Amino acid sequence: MEIWIIYILNGMYFASFLFLTSLGLSIILGVMGILNLAHGSLFAIGAFMAAFIIGALAEKAPVTIFVIGLLAALGVAGLMGLLLEVSIIRPMYNRALEYQLLITFGALLLIEDLIKMTWGGTAYYASKPFEMMGTFAVGANEYPFYFLFAILIAVIAGIGVWLIMSKTKAGIMLRAISMDREMATAMGIQIRRLNTMAFGIGAALAGLAGALVIPTTPALLGIGMDPLIIAFIVVVLGGLGSLKGALVGSVIVGETRSIGIVLFPEIELPLLFLIAVIILVFRPQGLFGR
Amino acid sequence: MATKKIGRREFIKSAGVAGMALGAAGISSGFKVRKATAAQTRSIPKTPLKVATISFLTGAAAAPFGIPGDNAYKLCADEINNTGGILGRQIEMKSYDEAGGADAQVKLARKLILEDEVDVILGYISSGNCKAVLPLSDELGGLIIAYDCGTHVLMEERRSPYKVPKFALGFRSSAHLGIDNIGLALFVQKYFPEVKKIAGINPDYAWGRDSWLIFETAMKQLIPGVEVVKTLWPKLGATDYTAHISALIGSGAEIIHSALWGGDAVTFTKQAIGMGLFNKARMAYSRGEPYPQEVGMGYPEEQIICCAGTHYFLYPPKDKWPLNKWFVDTFYKTYNKYPTYPCYHAYQAIYTYKAAVEKAASLTGGWPSKEEISKAAAGLSIETPSGILTIGEDHNGKEDVLVGFSKKIKGYPFPILDPDRMAIFPSHMVNAPVGIRTEDWIKSWEV
Repeated sequence: MEIWIIYILNGMYFASFLFLTSLGLSIILGVMGILNLAHGSLFAIGAFMAAFIIGALAEKAPVTIFVIGLLAALGVAGLMGLLLEVSIIRPMYNRALEYQLLITFGALLLIEDLIKMTWGGTAYYASKPFEMMGTFAVGANEYPFYFLFAILIAVIAGIGVWLIMSKTKAGIMLRAISMDREMATAMGIQIRRLNTMAFGIGAALAGLAGALVIPTTPALLGIGMDPLIIAFIVVVLGGLGSLKGALVGSVIVGETRSIGIVLFPEIELPLLFLIAVIILVFRPQGLFGR
Repeated sequence: MATKKIGRREFIKSAGVAGMALGAAGISSGFKVRKATAAQTRSIPKTPLKVATISFLTGAAAAPFGIPGDNAYKLCADEINNTGGILGRQIEMKSYDEAGGADAQVKLARKLILEDEVDVILGYISSGNCKAVLPLSDELGGLIIAYDCGTHVLMEERRSPYKVPKFALGFRSSAHLGIDNIGLALFVQKYFPEVKKIAGINPDYAWGRDSWLIFETAMKQLIPGVEVVKTLWPKLGATDYTAHISALIGSGAEIIHSALWGGDAVTFTKQAIGMGLFNKARMAYSRGEPYPQEVGMGYPEEQIICCAGTHYFLYPPKDKWPLNKWFVDTFYKTYNKYPTYPCYHAYQAIYTYKAAVEKAASLTGGWPSKEEISKAAAGLSIETPSGILTIGEDHNGKEDVLVGFSKKIKGYPFPILDPDRMAIFPSHMVNAPVGIRTEDWIKSWEV
């Protein structure tokens, strides 16, 4: 029976970085109405940045260095997000969805090539923090401390975003834009500046999520594609622009995947889509969508 | 398949080109003699040979797999060029990336054959890519030698007996996954005849599915009471195996079969170490030979590792097989790593081509056509750093297979195969007869 505790913890670990990825995607989509296909590349930038820092500096204090890597990944991805918004996303606000898809897909390719130019095409391993943190006993089984650490980081980041969105003026204005863009404009909210901020926050969260998987996963080209696809499932399932939706959606997807692999291994990936379909049949706007 | 054996001496005599005998060994069957007058007028072009090599140069499979393979191609091409080339022609080699999926590889192969007019393509690690590209050999008239991909289905048909070869101009210069998985099953039978529960974790495409099929079929023949308690199918290139690892721990399996490869194998192993899988069960990797070197001293002991043939830097022993000594020493000196099985496979591909050209030329009196090279390659036996490689009439390599346990031994920065508990299963024990499907052959065993 203890093994089920591990299955559930695994689901929570998977949900942790999925939550951060989908929250970023959801903020960008909810506030700005931009479907950002380059979100996975921002995840990848965070992953490579963290791997690079851990690989270069982690000989003596891997955990401390990893925390620095997390912050660097968050910062670099956020900065890249700001640059993207100002340079190529901004002219797309009043254009049709096809333009957004084309331009963000172009950004995806551009960032992938940038990563290739900077770090090369091979995989970067930076598993020291995972190895150094050790394990604890769950009955007769072992479980890595690192996974609890990742869950904790996601919780802290989630609380941080919640505080920004609910307690700061900028956050409240972002929510206002997300609820009714025209009314927010009429009230004199400076949408352009807040768009940049939203994109930066979303990108930083993707970068943080990318960095979080690095101790267990190599940084390699295309690393952001899978999280992007699954994050889309979470956003659709949880509802656009909703922090609560991203949280609950991530947990549902994480646990479904973890337990699905145990019970229905043949349909590992389709199972996630199946769950999304079932929920959307009953709530087309998603669990917490408006 | 009925074949007529022709001795080398008689053949050369009849072709009237005895002066061009270049030591081609193991000539067999099916080689039609062209008229001597036509053969004698042929010349050897002075232009370099265009050779395209294709391996994963980016992505997760690049570092542990594609790049070492590509490095071995370069090393071999340099060696051939420094010793006179192939019939005096220098090799002009160009490396291409295998990333991008089957569609991209089909386009690349078309371009290489039709536009660039390469003499030969040596390539492909992925079974999916091999299945997509090899049919192009006959369709476009290009010589393609698959060097590493493993699915047995590539050269087999749906029913036994089947006609060989499947492709006139398509080859595989290594054995298919049958030897790995039959070898593993024989090894398990030898060391763990009492095993009750097995499981599998394999990538969800041709390579993984076929590897498990052969292993499961062989295990059920060799140890009839064995129970399969879990089969998992992560997608190729998956980066998170935590749920799979827990599912395997929860299954209670004693031995877990896996054909994970490249970056997937490294990632899985690292995550499995962290989650304590190796304290609960023993892994049996069908092509696990490269990964202890990739993971380092953290790689667990007592895991079952198959070498995709007898491709190992310590076997055949250097003092008994100088070619392995040359290959290992030169590779290590150049790249500061021991060669792994993709490197040995690269050697096999380029030297199979060289031997086939030389054998065909010895019979035709000049530079042979692609068809003549192809016919010369079937039935060829060559010395490689791993031992003797034979190319069957089915255009598929036949090799022995080496299986062992990982063990930490002083002097090596990663676990090597325990020298006291290695098992070598000879080619006839692990390769189905030509024209018989591997699965049918296993089911016909009387154990």
